Amino acid sequence: MRLLPILLLLLATAAGCATVAPEHRAILADPTMQFDVDAKHEAGMRHALDNREGSMGGSGVQGGGCGCN
Amino acid sequence: MQLASRAAVIAVLVAAAVLAVAAPARAQVLQLDTTHSVFYESPTKTHMFVYSPTADVTASPWSWIDIRAGWEADVVSGASVATKAGSIYGQSHSADVVSTASVRDFRNVGRGEVEIKGSTGTSLLAGYSYGTENDYRSNSLHVSARTDAFQHNTQFQLAYAHNFDEVCDRVQDTSLLNDFAAYRALENSAGCFTSAADRTTHDIAVDTYEASWAQSWTPVIETQLTYTAQLVDGFQSDPYRSVIVGEGLKAQEHVPNDRAREAVTARLAYYLRSLKGALRLMVRGYHDTWAIDSGAVELEAEKSLGENVRIMARGRLYRQGGAVFWSDDYTGGAPPLGPRGAYFTGDRELSPFWSFLGGLRIVWSIIPEHKRLLGFIQSFKLAGSGSVEDFSYDQFTLAGIPISNAWEYLATVSLNLGF
Repeated sequence: MRLLPILLLLLATAAGCATVAPEHRAILADPTMQFDVDAKHEAGMRHALDNREGSMGGSGVQGGGCGCN
Repeated sequence: MQLASRAAVIAVLVAAAVLAVAAPARAQVLQLDTTHSVFYESPTKTHMFVYSPTADVTASPWSWIDIRAGWEADVVSGASVATKAGSIYGQSHSADVVSTASVRDFRNVGRGEVEIKGSTGTSLLAGYSYGTENDYRSNSLHVSARTDAFQHNTQFQLAYAHNFDEVCDRVQDTSLLNDFAAYRALENSAGCFTSAADRTTHDIAVDTYEASWAQSWTPVIETQLTYTAQLVDGFQSDPYRSVIVGEGLKAQEHVPNDRAREAVTARLAYYLRSLKGALRLMVRGYHDTWAIDSGAVELEAEKSLGENVRIMARGRLYRQGGAVFWSDDYTGGAPPLGPRGAYFTGDRELSPFWSFLGGLRIVWSIIPEHKRLLGFIQSFKLAGSGSVEDFSYDQFTLAGIPISNAWEYLATVSLNLGF
């Protein structure tokens, strides 16, 4: 567990080396590659799961990759 | 209903104002979303039907700001366990010792959000929601901040929410203070949130923190790592449920007031060019101070059919251990049965179980270039989905009768229009 923050820091640093050029981002912008593109539609299912399971969390935030801005 | 009609009026006014301000603009300035979900389950002795409509409007009068208003509801009817007994007690008593009570409720939530957007993917968001039920009130504030780095390949997001909630309960005999085994369950919600002498309310404070990192690694691989933590402080029992805790003795469910919860979720999306679609994998680990540990694995495969249609299939496997104070029977028996300290619950969601979910979704979307549908619609998306989930409880019984037919069914349709 003590190594986890260091591992995350290394991964985040490596992320800077893994950039995908804008002209190669077409697939990343595809709706099938988005984690939350249909989040409003899925909210009902997540709500049902939260009510029937003793756990929560990780429904996530808007994923990267679209580069729409 | 009053809240719903007020929310609808506000939404229409916001929409009209935005259209008036931004009429000359060519970009999409208004988005309308509505979803309708139906949930049904009918396991042993109980059943539940929930209809959940939502309506949201997002206005973007200028490119740097989104203003959202929304409403959602749950119309609930069914029957749930009112008195829970376990297998040991069930051996010497009739199964009728387990009783059920009919449930009817109408949950309303109104919400609003403002998001300020920067030119490089940075955004700040703040929102508020207010929810009411017959026996529950909720005020929730949330904020989040997001930024991009490395040419949009990396996204970081921080989010925080605080709930100021209240739950209705029966006034207990003050001479029994701290003798929770003598507390009586709430009979019904009549008199809740009024000055009725036999009703009281308990506060619940909920703080939720979330940090997320999304990363594009290659032109076809995307990941997301999310950490969620939640602190809950307040009355967390089901006020309506009693548990048999001794011979002829039933008491209102009693669980700890404090609960700290945390989860780590990793997600991966991988595009398969040959299939014109993506595989998405989600793995989540969860732990809380009630000693519930759980793991979930979810796999989705989504494929484009032509320009406008996507179909998705999903499978989800979930496993959790029970809370440290959970027992099927608090009256006795060899472990894992028997009393568990000061707490007792009849909640099957706190018991150990497996579940498996399967589902399908289809999305039809149209975003015409250089023209508008019917002359005024800039984008259109219609989606439908269905899922089935099967629960398998390790220990939970109703006076020794195992739960069978623990299937849940959920169907959703949604419509999104951009103007």
